Amino acid sequence: MSAIGPYRDIVLDHHRAPRRLGRLAPPAQAAEGVNALCGDRLRIEVRVEQDRVTAYAFEGECCAIATATASLLGDLALGRGRDDLALLERGFATLIGGGIAEIAELGALNALSELARYPARRKCALLPFATLSAALRGESRATTELPA
Amino acid sequence: MNAPLHETSPTFDPLRARADFPLLTRSVHGKPLVYFDSANTSQKPAVVIEAVDRFYRQHNANVARAVHALSEEATTAYEGARAALARFIGAGSPGELVLTSGTTMAINLVAYSNLQPRLQPGDTVLVTQMEHHANIVPWQLVCARSGATLKVAPISERGELIVERFVELLTPEVRLAGVTHVSNVLGTVNPVRELAHECRRRGIPLLVDGSQAVPHMPVDVQSIGCDFYAFTGHKMCGPTGTGGLWARRERLESMPPFFGGGEMIREVRFAGTTFADPPHRFEAGTPNIAGFVGLGAAVQYLEGLGMANVLARERELLAYATDALHSVPGLRIVGEASGKAAIISFLVAGAHAHDLATLLDLEGIAVRSGHHCAHPLMQFYGVPATCRASFAFYNTTDEIDRFVAALDKVRRLLA
Ligand SMILES: Cc1ncc(COP(=O)(O)O)c(C=O)c1O
Repeated sequence: MSAIGPYRDIVLDHHRAPRRLGRLAPPAQAAEGVNALCGDRLRIEVRVEQDRVTAYAFEGECCAIATATASLLGDLALGRGRDDLALLERGFATLIGGGIAEIAELGALNALSELARYPARRKCALLPFATLSAALRGESRATTELPA
Repeated sequence: MNAPLHETSPTFDPLRARADFPLLTRSVHGKPLVYFDSANTSQKPAVVIEAVDRFYRQHNANVARAVHALSEEATTAYEGARAALARFIGAGSPGELVLTSGTTMAINLVAYSNLQPRLQPGDTVLVTQMEHHANIVPWQLVCARSGATLKVAPISERGELIVERFVELLTPEVRLAGVTHVSNVLGTVNPVRELAHECRRRGIPLLVDGSQAVPHMPVDVQSIGCDFYAFTGHKMCGPTGTGGLWARRERLESMPPFFGGGEMIREVRFAGTTFADPPHRFEAGTPNIAGFVGLGAAVQYLEGLGMANVLARERELLAYATDALHSVPGLRIVGEASGKAAIISFLVAGAHAHDLATLLDLEGIAVRSGHHCAHPLMQFYGVPATCRASFAFYNTTDEIDRFVAALDKVRRLLA
C-alpha cells in the first residue's frame, strides 16, 4: 500500500499482535469501553499501587485503531499515576485533533497523529483512553460516542 | 416497472453519462476518486448544478407571494419541477405530490397528519426488519403518544422479506404498514405491488419508502397501488433538502396540516384559519425553491438517459462486482436476494468495517461503513457494522476492478 494514513507499521503490528491481552489476577480495577454505534467494545483492567499503575491488561472486539491504541496504551500507563495519565489523554486528544504535531511523552502513540485527517475515527483511538481513565476513577463504563 | 430490461439500449453510453458528472474527475488522497456511495447520496450532473446556479443568477425570488415578474418565474420553475417529478413517478397529477425536504420529512408528515389522529391504544403499525430508521422512528414516536405499538415483519437470512409472515401480520388492529421499496443495506427489492394488494384488501394504508428505488429503476406509483410513496431528491442526482410524498388527492384532502405558517393557508383570522388545498397545505413556509429547480433538472436528465437504461446498466455493474468480490478470500456478502438493486454490503473476516473503509479511502475509494441507519437489521445479522459499496450508472467496471484489487490489499494488510 502506498498511502497508509493512521495505519503505520507499529499500529498494524499492535493490531495483529496486541500486547498485554487478557485479564489480571485480583486485585484489579476494571472498566468496559463501548462504542455501540461502531460496535467497538473492550475491557481494561489495571492494578494500582501507591497511586501508580503497576499492571495493565485488556481484551475486547475492536477495530484496528482501537485495538492498537489499547495495546500501546499499556506501555504508557505502566508506572504512571491518574493525574499524569489524564494530562496525557488530553494531549493525545489534541494530537489526533490536529492541534499539535507530536508529543514526546506519548511515544509510539504519536503514530496515530494521522487521525487528524480522519475525524470520524478519533473516537476509536480515544476509547481505550476513556476506558482506562474510567477504571482509574473507579467507574465501570466509558464511551466516546455521543449518545445516539 | 420490472419490465424485461436486460440490456441497455444502443443509444445509452455509460461513459458519456459519466462525463456529465464534474466531481467524478477529482482525486482523493492523490488517487482518482472511485465513488461507491451513491446509496448514501448520488453525485450531481452539471445540468443540475447549472440549473441551481442559473436560478440564483437570473430568477431568484420567493414563490407565490408577489406579482412581479421574478416571483412569477420562480413560481413557474418551482411548480414546473413538481409537475416533472409527478410525471416521473407516475402520479395522477402534480396536485398529488407534496414537496418535502426528503423522505424523512415525507414519512413524518404521514405519521403526524395521517396516522396519529387515527391511532388508539392497542393499535399497531407494521414495518419490516430491513427498514431505514426514517421508516421506523417516526412511527415509534407517534405510537408512544397514543399507546400503540410497532410490529416487525421478519426477513430471511438471504435478506428477503418473508411475504407470508408480512401478510399474516396484517391483522385488524394494524393502522398502517411501512415498507421500503429497496433496502439501502441489502439491495433487496421488495414485492411492493403484492404487498399493496394485500394491504388494500384489508383496508390498511401502505407507505412505501422509495428512497432507493426512484433513483435506480422506473417507478410508477399508481401501478404499485400503495397509499403513500416517499422519496428523496439527493439520491436521484438532485440537490439535498428535496424530496416528495405522493398520495391520491382524496387521501391528501382528508389530512390536516402538519406544519403551520405562510404558503399553506387560505385565510387567517384569529378566530380560526382555513387552509389551502393539498399539496400546498403541507408546504408551510418558503420552500427549497432552488433545490427543486435542480431536482426538476435531475428528472429531465434521468428521463433523457432512460430509467430502463439506468436499471440495466446498474444490473451489469452489480453482476460484475458480485462476481469479482467472490474472489476475495474471507469476504461475505450480506444480502443475497434475487433481483437485487446495485448495493453490496459485505464483511471481511478479521477486518473491521471502519478499518476497511478508512484504508479504501486512502486508495481513493469511497464506500460507506457502519450501521447504515438500520440498527434492527444489523441486530438481525448479529454484526455492528458492514461495509457497503453502492453503484450508480456513472460507475465503471474499471472502478470495480480497482476496488476489488484494493480490497484484497487492504484485507491482507489487516490480517
Ligand atoms: C431506505 C431509505 N429510507 C430513508 C432514507 C432517508 O432519506 P433522507 O435522509 O434523504 O430523508 C434513506 C437515505 O438515507 C434511505 O436509504
